[in-house]
Amino acid sequence: MPENVITVKKLNKSFGKLCAVCDLSFEVEANTCFGFLGPNGAGKTTVMKVLYGKCLRDANTGTVVDVLGYDPAKNELAIKSLSGVVQQEDNLDDELNVIQNLLIYANFYGLGKAVAKRQIEYLLEFLELSAKAHSRIKELSGGMKRRLVIARALMNNPRLLILDEPTTGLDPQVRHLIWGKLHQLKKRGTTILITTHYMEEAFQICDEVLIMHKGKNIMCDEPKNLLKRHVERFVLEVTDSDSMSVLDSPELSQHVRIERAEETTRLYSNDTEKLRALANKLKGAQYYLRQANLEDVFLKATGRGLDDKQ
Amino acid sequence: MTNSDTTGPHFAINREIASPKIPPLWRRLYSVWFRHVRVYTQNIFSNALPPFLEPLLFLVGIGLGLSRYVTRTMEGLSYIEFLGTGLLMTSAMFTASFECTFGTFIRLEFEKVYDGMLAAPITVNNLIIGEILWAGSKGLFFSFAVLCILTVFGIISLPYSLFVPLIGFITGVMFATLALLVTSFVKTINHFNFYFTGLLSPMFFFSGVVFPVADLPGKIRPVAELLPLTHSVRLARAVCTNRYSVSLLADLCYIIIFIIVVGFFAVRRLRRRLVN
Repeated sequence: MPENVITVKKLNKSFGKLCAVCDLSFEVEANTCFGFLGPNGAGKTTVMKVLYGKCLRDANTGTVVDVLGYDPAKNELAIKSLSGVVQQEDNLDDELNVIQNLLIYANFYGLGKAVAKRQIEYLLEFLELSAKAHSRIKELSGGMKRRLVIARALMNNPRLLILDEPTTGLDPQVRHLIWGKLHQLKKRGTTILITTHYMEEAFQICDEVLIMHKGKNIMCDEPKNLLKRHVERFVLEVTDSDSMSVLDSPELSQHVRIERAEETTRLYSNDTEKLRALANKLKGAQYYLRQANLEDVFLKATGRGLDDKQ
Repeated sequence: MTNSDTTGPHFAINREIASPKIPPLWRRLYSVWFRHVRVYTQNIFSNALPPFLEPLLFLVGIGLGLSRYVTRTMEGLSYIEFLGTGLLMTSAMFTASFECTFGTFIRLEFEKVYDGMLAAPITVNNLIIGEILWAGSKGLFFSFAVLCILTVFGIISLPYSLFVPLIGFITGVMFATLALLVTSFVKTINHFNFYFTGLLSPMFFFSGVVFPVADLPGKIRPVAELLPLTHSVRLARAVCTNRYSVSLLADLCYIIIFIIVVGFFAVRRLRRRLVN
């Protein structure tokens, strides 16, 4: 039986009357990458914080939070010493250079000088930052800062790596580089917990994805199963709504699922031929026929409108 | 998991850190303290020169001007001796107060430095106490700087006064607890102005630094006894002049109780801001 690195049952966290996390349960197997997807304010970051003791969960009976065999409410130090955390902000010490930033954290983990020096050398090489070892933080690009924060979180060779939106705002090159590094870490036995807004990212690196909305678990499965089970295989996107009137016929909605948003109408179906036939009727209109992706699942699950927390 | 995994020997994991252990308490406090020392000493010139210049400026200004007019002794000391021994403590008070108001607030709200630190194996209490110890160290260093200037000018004499930075440390710790308590209430950084103008500046004038507490009107004197700085200044003068009395024990007790009580509430309130 595979070993669980994280077991969470019926987790609740409320801020005043607001329920940030409601009755959330999930399990993360060792050596896997588990992704949290959800709109802003869905409660993803709160869950991460509960896991390493930065946030206190509601004290309900029946709640179980077990991280690497410890309960963060009782034994946060044990969890922190075995895991690494990459938070949303690049909270580096701007006054110091790259090596000095890492040395401060080597100290937190109680590494001796010689061990710390070798570990820092190794981490800089791993994240391709060796050339910047003596640069000041202000001289680093956004992507370098992010990689440095990841290096810092790896100081103790953690068994569990928690990343909160690690690639938000980064260019595709850096994102791909980070995905590569996460793959390597997983191969070496690191369990990864990641939150992201990028569907593509979740699809690329996660073994299992939990879609969260308003503090609740909407669905949780392997990415390919989410696609298979929750959304049709193909989508026809029509980008000028005026031409949609051409398609208006009562039997249409029997064959395809129609979703209307501002300027775009999306027609979902498992039958690509049917969609192609519809597309041909559109003549001059702008349309795009493609495979459905995780983003379609996500939007179907969490709705297209914005709520007051987004 | 072996060294020959597909990532290549180049990126083989550093196996010296096989099973991370929780560092002992002293080590956790030390790493918080070390972080602050490291950042402070990064700009050693601009950070460490002013503590020496400020008392110098003060003594030159007072010595050249005011002291000619102040001919009476105060508590058996010439005016420049009286003021100088008081400045040993006000410098410790101000540096610890700045560190744990503006400094702490910036780390907490703007730089988010604490968030990163709290992902490492330290508790919130470790973090806050490390903060207090660092403010105490700054108090020690700043009173040492004043001591150097006072010694160079021959205002106080060695060797007894060499112990006075220890009183600077205790004073720094005491004002750090108060400053952190204030910080735990503050929502915007501008609110600290009230603390500095409303409490610290009056203390500078009414805690026996610029004139003896005994000269205050009878009704105000008990108020001066309530102010923490009064007790630090008494201890510092006793150490510098090597004249001790039993009543100093009361001053020491005041400081210790103040640190414990105010520190307790400061830690408790600030913890709620860091872990929610």
